This record gives sequence, C-alpha cells and structure tokens, in this order.
Amino acid sequence: MPIQLTSQAYCKMLLHAAKYPHCAVNGLMVAEKSKDKKKDGHGEPVLCVDCVPLFHGTLSLSPMLEVALTLIDTWCKENKYVMAGYYQANERTKDTRPNQFAEKVAARISEHHSEAAIVMVDNSRLTTSCYEPIIHIYDHSENKWKIREVTQECFEDWSEAQKITSALLEGRSYENLIDFDNHLDDLRNDWTNPVINKSVLDLC
Amino acid sequence: KMPHNFWCYSDCVTYLPTEMRDKLRKWREDNSRNSEQIVDVGEELINEHSSKLGDDIWIIYEQVMIAALDCSRDDLAHTCLQELRRQFPDSHRVKRLTGMRLEALERKTQQPKNPPAARKRKISILKALGKSAEAIRELNEYLEQFVGDQEAWHELSELYINEHDYGKAAFCLEELMMTNPHNHLYCEQYAEVKYTQGGLENLELSRKYFAQALRLNNRNMRALFGFYMSASHIAASPKVSAKVKKDNMKYAAWAATQINKAYRLAGRGTKENKCSVKAVEEMLESMQITMS
Repeated sequence: MPIQLTSQAYCKMLLHAAKYPHCAVNGLMVAEKSKDKKKDGHGEPVLCVDCVPLFHGTLSLSPMLEVALTLIDTWCKENKYVMAGYYQANERTKDTRPNQFAEKVAARISEHHSEAAIVMVDNSRLTTSCYEPIIHIYDHSENKWKIREVTQECFEDWSEAQKITSALLEGRSYENLIDFDNHLDDLRNDWTNPVINKSVLDLC
Repeated sequence: KMPHNFWCYSDCVTYLPTEMRDKLRKWREDNSRNSEQIVDVGEELINEHSSKLGDDIWIIYEQVMIAALDCSRDDLAHTCLQELRRQFPDSHRVKRLTGMRLEALERKTQQPKNPPAARKRKISILKALGKSAEAIRELNEYLEQFVGDQEAWHELSELYINEHDYGKAAFCLEELMMTNPHNHLYCEQYAEVKYTQGGLENLELSRKYFAQALRLNNRNMRALFGFYMSASHIAASPKVSAKVKKDNMKYAAWAATQINKAYRLAGRGTKENKCSVKAVEEMLESMQITMS
C-alpha cells in the first residue's frame, strides 16, 4: 500500500534530521483514518498528513518508545488519525538502509494498523535547498522490505513540499522542532509541533 | 623554478637528465644511503624525464622507493611501487619491496605511543566509518588502561546498545553507577536497558532502578514513565503471584497519579497541552484495563 507525503509531514521529518545532524533520529507518520470500511483499493495511496518526531541519539531502547506509541495512539484516536509509517535517519550519513530496529517498529505499527511503510531519510543529501526528495521508501511485501522508487508522485505536491522545506531549513526553524525526547525533558514541550505546523500553513 | 640540486644551489648548476641518471647509478653502485638526495634527484627524473630513461627507469623506481621510505615520503614510495607492480606483477623482488613499505608504515603508526586523545579520535573515526566491531574492540582496550574514563564507558554502552548487545551495555552502565551512585541518569539508562532485555526478572530489576532514579531525581519523567510501565507489565504477567500482582498494581497506580499531576502542572494555562493531558489520562486508563 503506497504512501504519499504532505508538505507538512515531509518537512517536519527533515527538520528533525537537521536539528540533530550528529545523531540518528526517528519518528512516526500518521494518516487520516479512511471513512471507507473496506480495505483500501489496490494502489490507492495513503496520504501521510503529519509526522511525530520521536527520539534522537540512542534509538534502540524500548520503554520510552512504548510510552510514545501508546500516547500517540491515543492522540491518533482523538484526531481520527491512524499510524501509517515510521521514519528514521541513521547516524552515519552513508547508511540509509532500515535496520533491525526500524523493521521491528514498523511491524509493531502494522499489528494494529494496516501495512506500515518505512521512510529512511538520506542524511548525506540534506542541504537547505533540497531540490530532490532525499528519502527512500520501503514497503512490506512478501515478508520483505522492498525499496520503492521515489518520484514526485510520492508527494501530495512536491514543488510545494520542496519550497516549504527549503524555506524552513534556511530559516533554521528546526531549532524549534520538538521531538518526544524534548517532551520527556520538559513536559511543556509539545510534540505535536503547533508552531511549526503554523509556519507550514503560512507558507502554503 | 628552483634548480633540483638545491644542496649546492650556490653553484646554481642545473644537471641534465643524463647527469641525474648517472648520479643515481653511482649512488646505487656505492650503496650510498643518501636518501634525501636520491629522493630529490629521483623524483624529478621520474616526473619530468621518464621517457628518456629507457629500461633504467625500473631500477630507478626501486631505488627511489627505498629512499622515499627513509624520508617518510610514503606518497612517492607508493607511486614507485605501483609502477613496479604494474610492470612486474608476479615479481618476488617487487613483493619484497611491498613488504618493506608495509613495515615502514607499521612502524610509523606504532610510535610514538598513542596518547589518549589520539586513541579516542581513532575510535570516533572507526565509528564514523561504520566499523562498530573495531570501535568496540578499541574502546575496550582503551578502557583496560584508562578504567576511570566515564565518557568512554558511556560511549561504549551506546555502541553496545546500537548493536543490540544489551547485556554488555548493562555492564558498562553498572560500572558507571558504581562510580557515580548519585547520578540519576545512569540509573535510568540502566533500567531502560534491562527493560529492553525483557523477561520478568529484568522487568523487576528495571522497576527497581527506575525507582532509584526517581529517588535521586523525582522530576525525571523517563524514570517515572519507566517505573509505571515496568510495574504495569509485571502486574499484567500471568507468571506472578497474587501478592506480586497486587504490589505492582499499587506501584503503577501511584505512578499514574504522579504522571497525571506532572502533566496537569505542565499544562497549566496552555490550551495545546490539554490534548497531552487527556492523551495521558486515556493511556493510563487503558493500561489499567489490561492489568486487571
């Protein structure tokens, strides 16, 4: 089930990676719950409208991830979202394959929601201009994670996404990006990132 | 351009390629070890006049290579060696020269004795190159010598966590907790590792260390959440006695109250955080259901 990203989802992912260039980062992607009860039609893309940045640094420990997943699950239900995927940017810029941990999290998401996708952010190509999409998308089929070619079709509106992301990166908005780690450091930090969301909306 | 024979630049005499070649031959025959001169003449000869040397070029490559090693000119030694290997791919003599170069390189990396900063830099480089196993090995060796370096112990614990070797990560954190008993972060991280390892025993250990972290710093949210999660899981486990279940439900209930309190305090006055508060309340409620 192919996913598509909105500008908001894409740019928050990149802002997260840009805020912690020396660390691995990860997060969840959410889509609007489809009103249609039947399974999504073949090839019908799932639009990821937003993402929640989770952690930076050491990603491979469970307890806080469990807390985050549970909390975000509740938040999703409130807002009629479903978790649709997981993104990760690895610490070493040359490494863009999903590791065992990414696969585990994605599998976890898939248990409760339909097939999750993994998005890997290619740190090595992160610049303020970002003329090309710098992500790799992996879909789960036949028990394997297969990479899918990323084209402009993977975005709701690529040129808008590119412009907004570039503007926010240049304006160093990533300094204001809140991830779940920041939230645990100070509960007043809001992981839904209303400030960034507003900036995105203003630029649309 | 400076004349090649700078050692007698006062004469300001420039030698012809033939003269340079003869000099090199003479030094070979005399077995002179005037490596700097050989490098000087030889390098220019090779770079500028190789076409005029005919078959002499190969022996000159050999001579210059050996002299270059003497002068720590590995770049030049490498160039010469490459030419020789290309021309004489199976030559035993060339193999011997390769060995000479490797020995020279090894001697360079072994002395002087690497100071700690250089070793740590080397480890960072290994990490950046993705050579986790080597970085781990080097760091272990380093810690045998510098057993008090906390930063290094922490670094090692992170490397192990990334490799999913939680047992060894726990060991590093145990070292840190021993030497820093008042550091709530080490307690909390140790608890997280134990929780990740899984199993009832590890869960109980993790709960104890989350509790310890809270004792040291009652505002550590990770410790509070961790304490809540571990107690909840223990209470929900079919393997525990009724008493253990009851105790852990009490712990979890206490933690839930604290978490709610913390969120309400943080959310005071802000509209946005209301959703967080609500989400937490609901999360805690839903977990209560799974526990009972």
